[in-house]
Amino acid sequence: MDNITKKVEEEIKKGYIGSNHECPYHPSHFTGQDCTFCYCPFYPCNDNQLGQMIISRREKEIWACTYCLFIHRPEVAKFIMSEINRLGITTSKDPRMQDIFLETKKRFFHIGKALMILGATSDAGKSITVAAICRLLHRRGYLVSPFKSQNMSLNSKVTAKGSEIAMIQVLQSKAAGLKNPDHHMNPILLKPKGDTVSQVMVEGEPFGDYNVEDYYNKFVPGPGKEIVRKNIDFLKERYDVVVMEGAGSPAEINIYDQDIANMRAAEIADANCILVVNTEWGGSFAYAVGTVELIPEIDRKRIKGIILNNIRGDPKKIEDGARLLESIIGIPVIGIIPHIKLDLPSEDSEAFRGMHTKGNGKIIVSVIKFPRIANFTDLDPLFMEDTTVKFISNPEELKGSDVIILPGTKNTIDDLLWMRANGLETAISELKGKIPILGICGGYQMMGKYLKDPAGIEGKVPQTLEGMGFFDNITEWNEYKKKVIQDNGIMIETGEPITGYEIHMGLSTIVEKPLFEIDRYSSKENEGSVREKDLTFGTYLHGVFDKPAFRKYFLSFVKHDGKYVEIKNPRDYDELLEDNINILADGFEKGLNIEKIIDIAGVKR
Amino acid sequence: MKIIFIGTSSGAGKTTISALYCRYLYRKGIKVTPFKASNLSLNSYVTKNGKEIGMGQAFQAWASNIEPTEDMNPVLLKPSGNNTIQLILRGEPFMDISEQNPIDTKMVMEKVCESFDRLSKEYDAVVCEGSGSPVELNLMDRDLANLRMLRERSIPAILIGDIERGGVFAAIYGTWRLIPDKQKHLLKGFIINRFRGDSSILKSGIEKIEKLTGMKCLGVMPYLNLKFPEEDSMSDIGGELKGSDVRSAFMNNLDCLIEAATENGLDLDHINMIAKN
Ligand code: SF4
Repeated sequence: MDNITKKVEEEIKKGYIGSNHECPYHPSHFTGQDCTFCYCPFYPCNDNQLGQMIISRREKEIWACTYCLFIHRPEVAKFIMSEINRLGITTSKDPRMQDIFLETKKRFFHIGKALMILGATSDAGKSITVAAICRLLHRRGYLVSPFKSQNMSLNSKVTAKGSEIAMIQVLQSKAAGLKNPDHHMNPILLKPKGDTVSQVMVEGEPFGDYNVEDYYNKFVPGPGKEIVRKNIDFLKERYDVVVMEGAGSPAEINIYDQDIANMRAAEIADANCILVVNTEWGGSFAYAVGTVELIPEIDRKRIKGIILNNIRGDPKKIEDGARLLESIIGIPVIGIIPHIKLDLPSEDSEAFRGMHTKGNGKIIVSVIKFPRIANFTDLDPLFMEDTTVKFISNPEELKGSDVIILPGTKNTIDDLLWMRANGLETAISELKGKIPILGICGGYQMMGKYLKDPAGIEGKVPQTLEGMGFFDNITEWNEYKKKVIQDNGIMIETGEPITGYEIHMGLSTIVEKPLFEIDRYSSKENEGSVREKDLTFGTYLHGVFDKPAFRKYFLSFVKHDGKYVEIKNPRDYDELLEDNINILADGFEKGLNIEKIIDIAGVKR
Repeated sequence: MKIIFIGTSSGAGKTTISALYCRYLYRKGIKVTPFKASNLSLNSYVTKNGKEIGMGQAFQAWASNIEPTEDMNPVLLKPSGNNTIQLILRGEPFMDISEQNPIDTKMVMEKVCESFDRLSKEYDAVVCEGSGSPVELNLMDRDLANLRMLRERSIPAILIGDIERGGVFAAIYGTWRLIPDKQKHLLKGFIINRFRGDSSILKSGIEKIEKLTGMKCLGVMPYLNLKFPEEDSMSDIGGELKGSDVRSAFMNNLDCLIEAATENGLDLDHINMIAKN
């Protein structure tokens, strides 16, 4: 406490500074943040609309400011500092600080507005529309957060707090200029386990397994609605605009009342809505009319605009149709968006459709398409290099590979048995030492010596299996527990930085030469395995290719036509994403009436 | 007998379901032919007497156990880049269509109807396929394969919606809603395609659409990971195709699909009734 008081006294002496680009942590909260009060002069304000009381690791109550952005709003910091100067205050202990706090809150605090992006189909382009709108509003100085109440996705990421949320909300929060995506942005995450059962994650933590029926009949009317309400309210207190993403179509009239991802969420958030229709497959007018008219009147009133998305060819040609559509449904078409070529990870459904081959580079990367494949966006940075990534599921398709990757899986044991049965395991083993083989997460576990599951946690029955035997590591599932954590560290070989995240059940005893050194609270931890002469590599780190360090290192072992390949693009994948978000936003800006969006959102200044 | 299968979008499954129905009728001993007035596709097939038609109709002809002919697809539009489209009319290159050089719809429609009439005389059943969506508001006046065909020859129609991407109820309802009132009576039913899981969950939705539109749900087709010829230029939906001879592999897949569809309650008797009217 004293320490903070001292820091604040220093800040007051320094005066208003705006954004501090010198700071190595900048921006710690969001792009364009104000850094005048790195330490808050109001601490602890005890105001639940800003911070919250938590129980610390030492089991003491402490006031936490993790999600407070208020003090970093430029207009807020400016006002506080001018008040402090006007009154000649020198320390946060001054009793008049309380008055300043109340006055600041009265002037600048407001509950934000929510805007919802609905899609006529699951691949309407909702996710990228949300990302584009987040960026366009962020560029105009709004504090924006993405939100998707319920996301069914195989691709998740880990937040700084160790919560698991959908990959796409992390990307959207980046578009919003935010540094720390958190679980409020995707409070319900469904991870499909088979055709009908999903693991339900709530606020980033495993909650339980549900089949479709129980999910809709028990979870949704029970805890579901409240979870959505709580999180949306939380975000509205902290952001000017919460851009919500719907799920699938909002007009699934067979489950309309149980659908908490679309109109129910809009109602809870009191959000106006925009409907996005993908024109690529045709029938977009029918989808638009049908969606709008099947939604009951009371909800339909929320739909204030239509976006015709992904237009190939001349967007002008669709304008007559757009005018007709407006006259039929009485809702304006506020965006006609051309097809934009992007290197951004796509929604699952699209990704699955395209899951045969991606890219057309020289290096043939064969990725094993496990029946329960997960987190396959790990591979996206490879497209920055000269690669063709093939998703394969039988031994014949391995022919011509320059690299093999065993990706993540929802079930290591079942997918290993699948490879064992269809001959892929043998075929891959025959290539050991000839071409580089990398296992990530579940794929890495498979490469070890044994997989021990004495209680049948991962598999259906208790069992100990031999692994592929590429490493002498042993993986065990001793309790129903998931390790979920962000990792930062270095590549041991080169000392270059590496980032990633782990999401796995089962822990491995590693006896091989490690690849990485990961920073933990007060120690370092080795991670990964490598046998260079066997050309075998393994790691738990999802996102391992994002930073250039490992991509460069790994590809340096790859040969094509007998020659070592060249590494084309040693760029950080994050920078590439940033570029693409800007391309996306620029593309939308051309065809979208953004003033109208601001109007619909209800945040015109 | 005549019937037309119309999709709510490209890739809804028109080609395959048309082929399925052709095959079913052929197996019942009915002389059946496929027909698609106009096809936008790069994927063509050359008939025995050297005429070019869409691949989908060749496949449907085989399903009907007959040789493909140019009458089965009198208009084939092949995008040739630079905003021009090559028009293949009754199997022969006819002209390059562009903004400056538009198509003579009336003349072309006459040819299309000639082909249709010839087939109607020769066969007991003509199974037609629509093209894209029938209600593209900006293109409806230029559309040959859908409403125009319906109107010219009073062909009863069945809508096909793809559930895989979601929004299938909206797609079916919206398509029905945008079809001009004069033709609505020809829309007899709908089929929901590519469904995974237990279809009883759809029941309340289906009933609502039936009530709103007066169309009957004729079945929910199961999703099968099988490959069929691509329908429009857009769609490669993947799937398995086993065997060295493509043609027989397609037929194999088709037989699997018929079996699965009937098991799932595709109401072929009802479709027959519609086609007989
Ligand atoms: S919650 Fe915000 S305003 Fe309150 S003490 Fe923390 S940083 Fe300051």
